[in-house]
Amino acid sequence: MISNFLTTAVRSLLRQKYYALINLIGLSVGIAAFLLIALYVQYETGFDKHLSKRDNLFRVVEIQNEPGVGEQHVAITMGPLAEALKTDFPQVVDAVRFMPGFDIQVVSFGNKNFRERGLYYTDPSVISMFNIGFLQGDPSTALSRPMSVVLSEKSVKKYFGSSVSVIGRSMMLGKRSFVITGIMKDQPEQTHLFFDILVSISSVENLADFEWMKGWGSNSLITYIELDKPESRQTIEEKFPEFLKKNVFSKEEGWEFLEMYLQPLNEVYLDSQHIKFQNVSAAGDINLVIVFIVIAVLILLVACVNFINISIARSVKRAREVGIRKVLGADRLSLVYQFISESLLLTLLAIFIAVGFVELALPEMNKLLATDFHIDFRGNWIFNAGLFLILIIISLAAGSYPAFYLSRFQPVKVLKGGGSIKGSSAGYLSKGLVVFQFIISVGLMFSVMVINDQVGYMKNKDLGISYRDAIFVFFGDDDGAGKSEPLRNELLKDPRIRTVSGCSFMNGVSGSQGPVFVDDSARTKLTMRFGYVDYDFFEAMGVKFVAGRNFDRRIASDKGGAVIINQAAARKLGWENPLGMKFKTVMGADTTLKPVVIGVINDYHYFSMRSLIEPAIYVLNPEMFRGLLIGYCAESDKQAVRKFIENKWHDHFPDTPFQPVVADEFAADSYKNDQKLFSLFVYFTTISVLLSVLGLFGLTSLLIEQKTRIIGIRRVLGGSVWKITTQLIRDYMLLVVIAGAIALPVTNYLLEQQLSQFAYRIEISAIHMVSAVLILTSIAFITIVFKAYRAAGANPVKSLKYE
Amino acid sequence: MIRTVNLTKIFRTDEVETTALNKVSFEIKKGEFVAIMGPSGCGKSTLLNILGLLDNPSEGEYFFLGSEVSRFSEKQRANSRKQNIGFVFQNFNLIDELNVYENVELPLIYLGMSSSERKKRVESALEQMQITHRRKHFPLQLSGGQQQRVAVARAVVANPHLILADEPTGNLDSAHGEEVMNLLASLNQGGTTIIMVTHSQRDAEYAQRIIRLFDGQIINENIKSGRSEMPVI
Repeated sequence: MISNFLTTAVRSLLRQKYYALINLIGLSVGIAAFLLIALYVQYETGFDKHLSKRDNLFRVVEIQNEPGVGEQHVAITMGPLAEALKTDFPQVVDAVRFMPGFDIQVVSFGNKNFRERGLYYTDPSVISMFNIGFLQGDPSTALSRPMSVVLSEKSVKKYFGSSVSVIGRSMMLGKRSFVITGIMKDQPEQTHLFFDILVSISSVENLADFEWMKGWGSNSLITYIELDKPESRQTIEEKFPEFLKKNVFSKEEGWEFLEMYLQPLNEVYLDSQHIKFQNVSAAGDINLVIVFIVIAVLILLVACVNFINISIARSVKRAREVGIRKVLGADRLSLVYQFISESLLLTLLAIFIAVGFVELALPEMNKLLATDFHIDFRGNWIFNAGLFLILIIISLAAGSYPAFYLSRFQPVKVLKGGGSIKGSSAGYLSKGLVVFQFIISVGLMFSVMVINDQVGYMKNKDLGISYRDAIFVFFGDDDGAGKSEPLRNELLKDPRIRTVSGCSFMNGVSGSQGPVFVDDSARTKLTMRFGYVDYDFFEAMGVKFVAGRNFDRRIASDKGGAVIINQAAARKLGWENPLGMKFKTVMGADTTLKPVVIGVINDYHYFSMRSLIEPAIYVLNPEMFRGLLIGYCAESDKQAVRKFIENKWHDHFPDTPFQPVVADEFAADSYKNDQKLFSLFVYFTTISVLLSVLGLFGLTSLLIEQKTRIIGIRRVLGGSVWKITTQLIRDYMLLVVIAGAIALPVTNYLLEQQLSQFAYRIEISAIHMVSAVLILTSIAFITIVFKAYRAAGANPVKSLKYE
Repeated sequence: MIRTVNLTKIFRTDEVETTALNKVSFEIKKGEFVAIMGPSGCGKSTLLNILGLLDNPSEGEYFFLGSEVSRFSEKQRANSRKQNIGFVFQNFNLIDELNVYENVELPLIYLGMSSSERKKRVESALEQMQITHRRKHFPLQLSGGQQQRVAVARAVVANPHLILADEPTGNLDSAHGEEVMNLLASLNQGGTTIIMVTHSQRDAEYAQRIIRLFDGQIINENIKSGRSEMPVI
């Protein structure tokens, strides 16, 4: 019986190639898009899964809410916090601190020098808490003593070439010598905190420069704790106010306005958009993941609705077959089986094609997202299970209504040429589905337009800073600025070099922010981002002044005694004319002077376009410079000029690695990540819109075909075909109005929610809504008119006889 | 084999009530060949549908093979139908997606027969109808006469007790029509009961008895072979 079903199914599909193709392609594209999104979602939700204790691990997050400063969540904490938590709460099994190796500019062994990103100072129990696998060395003591370092396998290869025993050997981290006490397995990339080199935190705890680590006044370390059980979190959090009172508020140097909570490690990667100073190597966005899941489900829904609609419309042509089969003894169940198995067959076929589409699309998607997604049938059982689930769900969802609907046909009626869906419940269902289809289409079209505009806005919005034709190279030690003067002079002799400027980083700001006190009686203070730049920085990066002047070489007091602020700072402080205003002290400025505002710069985006430009203050202090910004002329040969800079760099700093940050790449990393994801969003929503349009096209075509007989009769009677066309257009108009009335407000609400996450955003306008509706109705109209025209052109004798 | 008592069928729509059959009673014995005649709209097809268990009557009783079947559920009717009744339609009603062999095989599939048994039966039916050479062809590749022979093959393949033919020659030219009528006659001679609805007096001549319907009622029953007309109402 199955083979008979399948034979009929295949031949029936082949006979109606056009609709079968619409159905198959629609379903395949829908499933392919779903699978691509599923791979992305699976990747995004798969972070930190290698940590076996992850359910019991938490990161301590502070809420700083100083009056007048505003509330901010930060992931950095005080030095003594970890130990105090262990002492005060029996539920805290262990606690580990992480501190990026800010002070280590260069790691070297022999003549190999590198600047390391994944280098952290940390406590010994990190090895058990983050279940770090050891290849050599004793994990229980590896980080216990000062001056110990544990390297990843990859790092060992980088510095020592082969995997010979390196335990006990020394290497230089910054200016100090450390002993290698262990080799750990390489950490997976899919983690929020990637590290290559771990250094015992006791190596710095007793240094004068790190004295602050012993007090409660400074936040610089990330603290992770392990609880006896996840439920203990609440108990501990409830006692935090008391804990803070005892340990922090009572101390002279301690913070006054502070709250604390525990963030589950499982949420750190995806749900930390609101947290600053995280020092993480990767951060996702739960909102985007949810948006993508919604799109994936919508795409599948649209594909299913297409399938059901076209199946019902086609059922008129299948009605006779159902009648015959019933006459010959088929009962309803066997007919239901037949139609479900047909839908199963089609879905299976669509899945195969979809997997092909995915294989074709993956290289592009990987290029866009810089990922390595691939279909892994053997290793990724979730993916396989998902495919199977898709098969079953779509087959049943898409096949069951046509199955039950068709199997209900009375043979007597259908064999007499009845069996029209007009007036039957399927007619209403079909109309309902068209409205549903329109709702999704209007909603998605509307979203695509708005998001597309937002992406375009972000792409074209002036960042206020120009990341072009420049590189930034980190110094090898704290005194880099002083030593770099000869290099600067030599570089500037070359006509291709337009500027050489010291600064804390390419974006002008440093990694720290803190309260700045105004020199007034009201003790006004504001949390500001600190920036350290040389005389030429602002000009070199195209940052404009709105008032006052730049630092001036001829004015000695500018060095440490003058500051430049951004407009945001002036606004927050309520200063209409900031020039000449004074601060009490500013971190990095001359402590003996009250720094005076000499200039106000245009608000430029020093971080992502998503976040608001916050108050920033710039000081000219070469000691705080972390590297050199070297700008070159746009028309110069970039490769050659970079090579020239590299050679000069090695002449002056033979022991300092030349690992330049290239301006365009930096901009791409920090500003374009959003754009990439939104491009992806636009791709997928466009696919879903195309799918629903395809479905509408298919359905409209079929509806018109069913009117062939009416059109034939009208023609025989000398009537106008266009009356039918206008009638159809009127019907559709009504459906579109209903769909628009539902879709537009709902989508508008959801879009507002999404847009509100952007500090700089477009406003949704009526044009977006009207054009979304207009485009869709035009497509439906064109289909109707085109098909009606063809039906009208057909020979009425034929169409009447056919029916 | 068949006995109806006051068989009535009323079709209702929102505005109109149509009595298609009005208290029709008659009897058909096993092995008979009966033709039902009458003008368009007289209720012939409605009667045939009820006799073929495709539809239930509104009122009255219908005894088929000794059971009262007028209140059978759809499932019971389907069951009885596939075991006992073969159908031949004016427009052949073959499934376009299936070839000749597969069309003839279909009733046997619904009877749950093994594939070897099906093969034997289908081959024999095709041979009997002399269309074995067309077994791989699809209905649309055949002439009307050939299609109707396939339909007859399909009707007889399960060895039903009863064959219902609804204007079997209506779509055929006279030569092909005669061919089909001869097939039906020879089946009847083999012992199969046949009830045929027809407009054609010539076709009706093949039957042993003619039931004439008018406005849903039997107006006379013409028993051939010299027997006199016998009004029923």
